[in-house]
Amino acid sequence: MATDLAIRDLVIEYSSGGYPVRPIDGLSLDAESGQLVLLLGASGCGKTTLLSILAAILTPTSGSVKIGETEVTELKGSALTKYRRYSVGIVFQAFNLVPSLSALENVMVPMRAAGVGRRESKERAAGLLERVDLGNRVGHRPGGMSGGQQQRVAIARSLAHDPPVILADEPTAHLDYIQVEGVLKLVRELADDGRLVIIATHDDRLIPLADSVVNLTPRTDTAPREPEVVRLENGQVLFRQADHGDLVYTVDEGQIEIVRTRDDGTEERVALIETGNYFGELAPMFGLQRSATARANGATVVTGYGLRDFRDKFHLNTPKVLADAAD
Amino acid sequence: MLFVSLRDLQWRLRRFIIGVLATGLVFAIALLISGINSSFQNEAARSVKAFRADQWVVTKDSLGAFNTATPISDAVAVAKTIRSDPGVKAADPVLIFPFTVTKPALKDLNVIGVVPGGVGAPVVKDGREIRASGEAVVDRSVGMKIGSTLNLHGLLVKVVGRTSGLSYNAGTPAIFISFDDSQHLFFPNSKEGDLARAFAKGEASAIVVRGKVTKVVSDFRVMENPAILSDLRRPLKKATSTIGFLRILLWVIAAGIIGSVLYLQAIERTRDFAVFKATGVSSRTLLVGITLQAILLAAGAAIAALIIAWLLGPTMTLNIEVPPSAYLALPLVAIAVGLIASLFGLRRAVTVDPAVAFGGA
Repeated sequence: MATDLAIRDLVIEYSSGGYPVRPIDGLSLDAESGQLVLLLGASGCGKTTLLSILAAILTPTSGSVKIGETEVTELKGSALTKYRRYSVGIVFQAFNLVPSLSALENVMVPMRAAGVGRRESKERAAGLLERVDLGNRVGHRPGGMSGGQQQRVAIARSLAHDPPVILADEPTAHLDYIQVEGVLKLVRELADDGRLVIIATHDDRLIPLADSVVNLTPRTDTAPREPEVVRLENGQVLFRQADHGDLVYTVDEGQIEIVRTRDDGTEERVALIETGNYFGELAPMFGLQRSATARANGATVVTGYGLRDFRDKFHLNTPKVLADAAD
Repeated sequence: MLFVSLRDLQWRLRRFIIGVLATGLVFAIALLISGINSSFQNEAARSVKAFRADQWVVTKDSLGAFNTATPISDAVAVAKTIRSDPGVKAADPVLIFPFTVTKPALKDLNVIGVVPGGVGAPVVKDGREIRASGEAVVDRSVGMKIGSTLNLHGLLVKVVGRTSGLSYNAGTPAIFISFDDSQHLFFPNSKEGDLARAFAKGEASAIVVRGKVTKVVSDFRVMENPAILSDLRRPLKKATSTIGFLRILLWVIAAGIIGSVLYLQAIERTRDFAVFKATGVSSRTLLVGITLQAILLAAGAAIAALIIAWLLGPTMTLNIEVPPSAYLALPLVAIAVGLIASLFGLRRAVTVDPAVAFGGA
């Protein structure tokens, strides 16, 4: 199987607390074997969900995911099991080793599940553990190993069937800087061997490691910009729920109705913003999507400010740096 | 993949052992009460069989010879008439009644008066049969040795032989005395004349017959052994059905223990199952693993039950006769119970969403 990855118009939407959430909306990207791709983004931006879709564990709302000639979103039954077994290896954030099994047995599990003989799977698992420098820890249970060692066992397990694609979810999240080094080196080597390695992380320090980066959280534009005056007619929408946004708005004339759409399509009014008040500051501040729709309640005039101008206008404090590790 | 289930059991060995012992204790109690139930049934059958009778003649309004017999007041004559029937090989009166001795200790007995050497005299396991008045054959469960004397409210009888396993009405042992002695015992306060009349005619619960009665004497009826046995078992019918119900409850409790152990395990292993699924382990493989655990737990409990029952059985005051079929059925029933109980755990494992594996620690 060729391992080139092609994602087209991917939409992921799910329900959260009765409201539809769409962390990924129309994503398209391509990646090739031998590349290390970083899915970068804050918590909740959908990077783990995207990994789950690549692993054929979740089905997207719409769009296409092709690995080689396989349309991942259409896999079912035994084809699905076969894909998960042979085409992708997964390295989980919390290692997810089985506590009752030794390192060797944890690596053997995928092979035994696929019907590989006991002796062969044992030999192969021992070889993989050697490869991740754990040849001397084969008999240890996860509880007796450091986080870094556990993560290396998890990497060895992901290689059980020598899959062409490795998916890693926050592989360094639970590791200290000494352990991180070994794991990152190992992950890079996997890509250098000709695999497609996709890492989901919120840690932008991993960027130098990657061949390509997919930013799932749009960066907020903090550069100074001219305030933007918008005139709205009654019922006209200023921005919609789930949109990305750089501007914070003040109501100069009229009213803005803030409404949130429920799962069933109905709406609930969250707030009514009167003249002189501001709204929509959280999305640009925290790089989030808009959590509600803003629309005019009667003829309304609003002004949109960039984040820096907004802080200046409303005299909001910029946090002080109390200490800097670089100093 | 079975090694994963075995390792998991090793990992939770303490809980597994507690589960095995708790379930084993429940299985053992179920086994023991099966033995009690079986004992009630068997002792009645042995007691009826001990008479070695083909038929029983009782008064017309009697339902049996043991529990609901209206005495035959002229038994000697009735027996003689029955003997004259061409189909009858032998016939003798028997008097059956409950009796309580107070010396040397309070003890309930079932007294059976039989004609020495006649129909109804039991086969002894040790000693000899009754040959005359003043002698008795007692069941071993009475705890008397051959040659000792039994005081039946002043009527002293010498133990000349012993039977084994002859009791009825929940383990109350049977003693056999001569028909004449039984008359003395049955009418202790009768006037002299009444006693004399009684001796002449004899009071009996039934006439036990070898052969086949072809012509039934008026005011009497002929009963076969199964009907006599049914009458003997009737007083314990409620007890035995209650025991049967309790036994079912015990199976349910055992299923509850196995089910909760496995379900708890399945809850704790949710993430493991999710990881297995995410890495391509089929649901069928997970099912086989949990089923194996259920079978091992149930089989372990069955073995523990056999040991516990073997240890506890002798400490019970009631006679316990666990049928061999129960020993054979126990592992099978235990495994069936285990499999049913594991359904919740199985369901849990199958429905685990592999996406759970992607969660944080």
